[in-house]
Amino acid sequence: MYTPVKCYQPYYSPFDPCPPRTPICYATPPNLYLGFQQPNLPQYSLKEALYKGTLWPSLYDPYPLEGGGYREQSTEG
Amino acid sequence: MNKAPKADRYELMEKIQVVDFALVELTLYLDTHPQDSQAIQQFNQLAVESRDLKNVYEQHFGPLRQYGASFSGYPWNWKDGPWPWQL
Repeated sequence: MYTPVKCYQPYYSPFDPCPPRTPICYATPPNLYLGFQQPNLPQYSLKEALYKGTLWPSLYDPYPLEGGGYREQSTEG
Repeated sequence: MNKAPKADRYELMEKIQVVDFALVELTLYLDTHPQDSQAIQQFNQLAVESRDLKNVYEQHFGPLRQYGASFSGYPWNWKDGPWPWQL
């Protein structure tokens, strides 16, 4: 299932003197998985496209990460 | 040039922005899909619609673009209207 954000927990060695790191997350917009865009994909209505930022629902990504600092938003699993 | 109420200006400007955004999206799409006739047809429809909307806007609120894209009133009035960031 497509998720706009992916996270992983860096390995924490038992000999690591520093505290374990928080999970590292990164954005994965839909265009990574789309490959070559097929013609005649379904489109948003024009007005909605302006506010969504793209003409095609399959390319829509709300970029849920806050501030681009790659911190996980609380709502995301 | 009758002065339409202010609300018209923002609605009209929003319509222009909606159509222009779709044109930008279709331009980028058509750059990589030159054979997509349906998208080209949509692009041409939107181009006509965008031109008409801008003509209507310019009749009410003065020239929108420069360098010949908009007709000028008398006297030279392209700088009289509010700038885009002041709208």
